[in-house]
Amino acid sequence: MRIVEVILAPILALLIGMFFLGLARKIMARIHWRYGPPITQPVIDVIRLFSQKSVSHGNMFTLGVLFSLACSLVLILFLPMGKICPLSSSGGMLVILYVMLLAPFGIALSGGEAANPNASIGISRKLTLALGYEVPLLVILLAVMTHYKTLSIVNIVSMQQNTSWALTSLPLFLSGIAYILILPAILGIRPFEITQAAQEISSGPMVEYGGSFLALATIQHGLNLFIGIALFVNLFLGGAGNPPIFFLKMLVVFVLGLFINAALPRLRIEQAMRYLWRWPTLIAFIGMIIVLIIRR
Amino acid sequence: MSLELLLIVAFGGALLSYLFGKICPQIRDPFAVISSVALAVMMAFLYGKTMESPFYFGFLGLPLILRTNMLAWFFAMAISILGALSVIFSWDYVKDRERTDFYYLMLLLANASMLGIVFAGDFVSFFVFWEIMSWSTFLLISYNRGRALGAGMKYIIMSIVGSVSMLIGMLSLYAIYGTLHIATLSKLVPSASSGYLLFLFILFGIAFAIKNALMPLHTWLPDAYAESPTSFNGVLSGMLTRMGMYGFLLIIYVIVGAARALNLGPGIFKFNYILAWLGAITIVVSTFIALLQNDAKQLLGWSAIGQGGYMILGIAFGTSLGLAGGIFHTLNHAVYIVLLFMSVGAVQYRTGGQRDLDSLGGLIKRMPVSFIGALLGISGLIGIPLTNGFVSKWLIYKTLILEGHPFLAFAALIGTWGCILYCYKFVHHIFLGQLPEKYKMVARAPFSMQLPMIILSLVILLFGILPGIPLKVINTIGTSFGFQSLNVTTWGIASETGTLNTINIFAAVVAACVIVWLIFKAGPKAVPVAQEDTYAAGAAIPKDRYHYTVDFYNPLYRMISPYFKDFIGGFCIKLAGWTQNVCHGIRQMYTGYIGHYVMYIVLFLALLIFVQLKWSLW
Repeated sequence: MRIVEVILAPILALLIGMFFLGLARKIMARIHWRYGPPITQPVIDVIRLFSQKSVSHGNMFTLGVLFSLACSLVLILFLPMGKICPLSSSGGMLVILYVMLLAPFGIALSGGEAANPNASIGISRKLTLALGYEVPLLVILLAVMTHYKTLSIVNIVSMQQNTSWALTSLPLFLSGIAYILILPAILGIRPFEITQAAQEISSGPMVEYGGSFLALATIQHGLNLFIGIALFVNLFLGGAGNPPIFFLKMLVVFVLGLFINAALPRLRIEQAMRYLWRWPTLIAFIGMIIVLIIRR
Repeated sequence: MSLELLLIVAFGGALLSYLFGKICPQIRDPFAVISSVALAVMMAFLYGKTMESPFYFGFLGLPLILRTNMLAWFFAMAISILGALSVIFSWDYVKDRERTDFYYLMLLLANASMLGIVFAGDFVSFFVFWEIMSWSTFLLISYNRGRALGAGMKYIIMSIVGSVSMLIGMLSLYAIYGTLHIATLSKLVPSASSGYLLFLFILFGIAFAIKNALMPLHTWLPDAYAESPTSFNGVLSGMLTRMGMYGFLLIIYVIVGAARALNLGPGIFKFNYILAWLGAITIVVSTFIALLQNDAKQLLGWSAIGQGGYMILGIAFGTSLGLAGGIFHTLNHAVYIVLLFMSVGAVQYRTGGQRDLDSLGGLIKRMPVSFIGALLGISGLIGIPLTNGFVSKWLIYKTLILEGHPFLAFAALIGTWGCILYCYKFVHHIFLGQLPEKYKMVARAPFSMQLPMIILSLVILLFGILPGIPLKVINTIGTSFGFQSLNVTTWGIASETGTLNTINIFAAVVAACVIVWLIFKAGPKAVPVAQEDTYAAGAAIPKDRYHYTVDFYNPLYRMISPYFKDFIGGFCIKLAGWTQNVCHGIRQMYTGYIGHYVMYIVLFLALLIFVQLKWSLW
């Protein structure tokens, strides 16, 4: 059973990630009053890219992309999707937190070897932005772990299943709000689409990728969307008892995120940092103090 | 094998290396390597032994004692292995320099005195070895002359302050208990009053906090690390700085004991809480200062201050998990910081001493082994899963979260996330990015530098994948302090509140990498291109004109640089300036005219007479 889960979980995540990418293009097009590409377009693109020629700037350039995608695949195994969670007992939230930062780190190492000015700027922005949203995110996660007195994400989900969603419970309400405020930054969508910024820095870290590199990076992007939303659903929307409901919750969160993406322009990096270190951080800290008071 | 023999080999090796250097320089280097490797091998045979024996009686009637137990062995093993690797690394590094005999003497003396410190069974020998260590370190830090003289002076002044503070503590112990024997003291001291224990903690704490560079007593470290010869940095950053950790463990858990040491003090101002908060402040502040550095060795120095904060956080709460995390982190930090300094050293050796991050770049193609060393080193420093730093940090975070200190846990976690930024800066600026024209023909590091780097890289992975090997030793140390035994398995720690299982993570990562690799291989092969062949969105980039790494995190620097400066270091420098001015003013008194001196005497007598007439004090 476990082996089936280990194989099934990444495949499901991959399919949903690609579906999200396609859906994003379709919905954005409709908001812009265009018809938009078919929903399978990203899959078609990935298959086409795999057959195309690519250039490499060295070993780290190649290994960084592979490492980044591999880490995203591993991370899927730690996240409960409904009842599916193959590696539930191997370190819990702290491992998830750490593995989450490996994917951008791999891309950064890979892009770094390309010696491209746009890639350099993109990586610098990505790491700065990550530090920006990690400050409130860590406070939020610590509040959740302190409230439920466990480091295991499976336990957090099951406790919410028994009582109520963390987002609607009193001590974690503010933490949930803060999480919603930083979710676009975690997913890298507008107004925080600073890293890729196609019009400014030609896709940033991805600028040197072509052919199979770009295909792998696209898959990684899809998985990234999946992970960011799945973590939120597990921590604040109570996870789910079975996979379909879990994916439904994820879909709702993603579509809401797309509306924000369509409505807001891109911030500059320092504006983004100022926003992230001000309101979400403040709210998250107040949330954590409430959790501590209730715990006492 | 007796402990006297070990110390004789250690100190004798140092002196003989010097003599050989004077008589027959060709055999000095091999002799230094053989003696330090032999010491490490002898140390391994000491595993699990407990013994104690006096070696000298003549000092003021106090016996000088050597003893060993698991704690001493653990530190001694790390010291001797890292010391041996540093000696091997030095082989080529100092070959063409001046005063190499002196260098080897001081390097081996520093190693030997550290062994003396951990094996010392009484405070007199502890103090003597502590001073030998401080002075030999001082001489090595100022080995390069120039700026290094100032750095060494900073180090030795702070070191003396610490030593004096420790000496006062020892004298008070002697005055009250009439002995300085550690085993006897550990039976007597726990029954002392709380006030006296706090007094002891503060006096010894100052000495050990200075050595461990705990804020606000850290100011010696960045300059000392940056200016000392890079081949000595391994010894200095790996274990020598962490003698402060050994001291803290000794005073808190061996002498006073966990039962009295924890929760000592009024209200929330408990000794261990204050220690933990100092650790947390150290982590956050030094992480952001490290981010602003542009000198590879200064950057590593600031990061080492921050990592010291994690160790303090680990041991401050006195739970079995936290203690294990703190001690394990001391070992792990030593392994990866030595590796990082060696990597910087190899780059310096090949690029003519260049350590400015903005001038290097692209060396991955020229120095692959050094790059792998640096990459694994920063992985350990960040604490990426499957490297050693992850396990110890996991233990520390878990302690903080489960003990209900989310703010401290936040400080520790944000320190790690800031660490990613400067780690990436470190590895990117040196090894990735553009390779400047002048470094196109740089050769690989010599074998004597590659060998220690390869060994340490393997150790990082070994302790990351099978953390049970060192954790079992650490668990024995914990139980000897009277803590509950942990459920340690070879690949992690099991408990009800969250289990760590590195072998599962390892298997998953390997499987994922293989699958992704196979998918990648199925596609058409990528064509390798030159580094200038990049896409710049239509703009032409002149060759070797721009350096993309300068001011890498510019928006972030602008945000944090007003708040994260070394205010304490600046204050110390100001204080030194004032003292100098005052002393200079006083020196003006010495005019050399006998008439002036007579006038001083007459004025002083007049003052005394005036005071007597006015207040009649005498």
